[in-house]
Amino acid sequence: MGPPKKRDEGWFTSLYAAEYEHMVRYGLRRLADRDASAELAQEVFVVAWRRRAEVPERSLPWLYGVARRLLANQWRSRRAAPDLLPITDVDLERLAGSSGADTSVGVADIWTALANLNDLDQEILRLVGWEELTVSEAAKVLGCTGATAAVRLHRARRRLAEAMSDRPGQTRRSPVLMTIREDL
Amino acid sequence: MFGAERTRTLLGPADPARHAVVGPPLVSARELIDRADATETVAGRRRVRPTRRVVLAAGTLAVAVGAVAVLQPFGEGAPDTPDEPAAAAGLVLVPVAYQFDADPPAAGPQLRMLADKIKDAAYDHQSGRYMYHHSKLWGDPVMTSADGRHHVAFASETKVWQAADGTGNQASSQLEPQYPDQESRDYWEREGSARPAATGTPAPSVIPLPPRELRPPSAVPSELRELLKVEYGAGAASKEVSTLYGRYVVPRATRAAVLRVLADVPGFRWRGQVTDRAGRHGVAVTFEDREHDQQSLLIFDPKTGELLADELLTLSPVRISSYKVILDTAWTDRVG
Repeated sequence: MGPPKKRDEGWFTSLYAAEYEHMVRYGLRRLADRDASAELAQEVFVVAWRRRAEVPERSLPWLYGVARRLLANQWRSRRAAPDLLPITDVDLERLAGSSGADTSVGVADIWTALANLNDLDQEILRLVGWEELTVSEAAKVLGCTGATAAVRLHRARRRLAEAMSDRPGQTRRSPVLMTIREDL
Repeated sequence: MFGAERTRTLLGPADPARHAVVGPPLVSARELIDRADATETVAGRRRVRPTRRVVLAAGTLAVAVGAVAVLQPFGEGAPDTPDEPAAAAGLVLVPVAYQFDADPPAAGPQLRMLADKIKDAAYDHQSGRYMYHHSKLWGDPVMTSADGRHHVAFASETKVWQAADGTGNQASSQLEPQYPDQESRDYWEREGSARPAATGTPAPSVIPLPPRELRPPSAVPSELRELLKVEYGAGAASKEVSTLYGRYVVPRATRAAVLRVLADVPGFRWRGQVTDRAGRHGVAVTFEDREHDQQSLLIFDPKTGELLADELLTLSPVRISSYKVILDTAWTDRVG
């Protein structure tokens, strides 16, 4: 891994310019609010500056790991709050963009099926399918070995396929517990 | 049947951010640096800046309690797995033997007695910046043959050094395959190329840990009950106790409080003296969840009240689904 190169304001500005959009998109895929996504991205980079000595050369998985933890912390701190708002399918359609192309039946089926998976299954599918990380990079975000991530992806894909074959009319499973097993 | 690329092909059109236009940042890098420096440390503690509320997808909160994953073996459907040596033969796991196997008594009175008599652990006299945990795990996930009858999982060893702000290192090594029954071992030995791949590397993968807020567990019963999610029952509480001891160095008062909280959770049975998979003497409680055909097992150190190990078993047939053995817990200033 080696010692990090000079981690000065110039390095940080370049990192911010290169990865900001990725962080906002990460937020958009998980939050119901564009402003919240932008704020999440800012918080990620605040952490990155504080921990600049620890940011790996290939920084994106590390930054996604920070974003994931920030979201988890946010949820933990608010879990007793009655006004915690879930993203609904309607929210997702609103976020899908202006073209309207993503509101097809197939896309809605995928969203519905995804929403019926557990957190770990959803997250590895999003990391690989939307953030376009490799399995090895997704493992770094999730804090597991590459082999474990490969198995989890395999399992998640199978469950997604099962959930899609169950549509339509299947009721969404009620949230039960937040579990991030061995999440670092 | 499809790998990472096909996952992208399938999910890509459903990407909520696919067509989203992301504008330039509203704050400059310099402003973020100023913000970070202003909030970094105040008198040795990070000041938590209140942030705007963010909301999470309901789906991210959903997970089946105690579910143990099974899936089909790697074959052509696992292109994400690099070329790796085939699995070597490994152990067949047998359940931990209980002192009170049949008709075990309720655990409440025994747990309260244990809470009253526990002593300091070695780490109660240590100090350091990092919480250190050395654990061995098996069963997350378990792989299952196409016919659903044969199971295998690789044991793994994890060492975590984590400071109060969440930073540190995690080193993980994949170990040997282990099987819940002899038939599974025989099957996977026969399967050759179809059996799951192992990394087979002795070198641990080291991950620098990103920061996160870690709040030391409270010894206040009401807060501990919430932390351990006792409202969801003994199965959920068992899982949370495992998480608690796997993440924190739990002080004596909190260990005693954990035992007293568990004593009040309906369903735990006292299994008496046991020997865990690391060969240590312990005392055990179990919770049988007949609805989900599984049993949760917690093994405590009879002197210190520390959690030594936890396991999940299926009941019909009796078979190990997963286990975790906490081999060492300490405070340290050195990160490995």
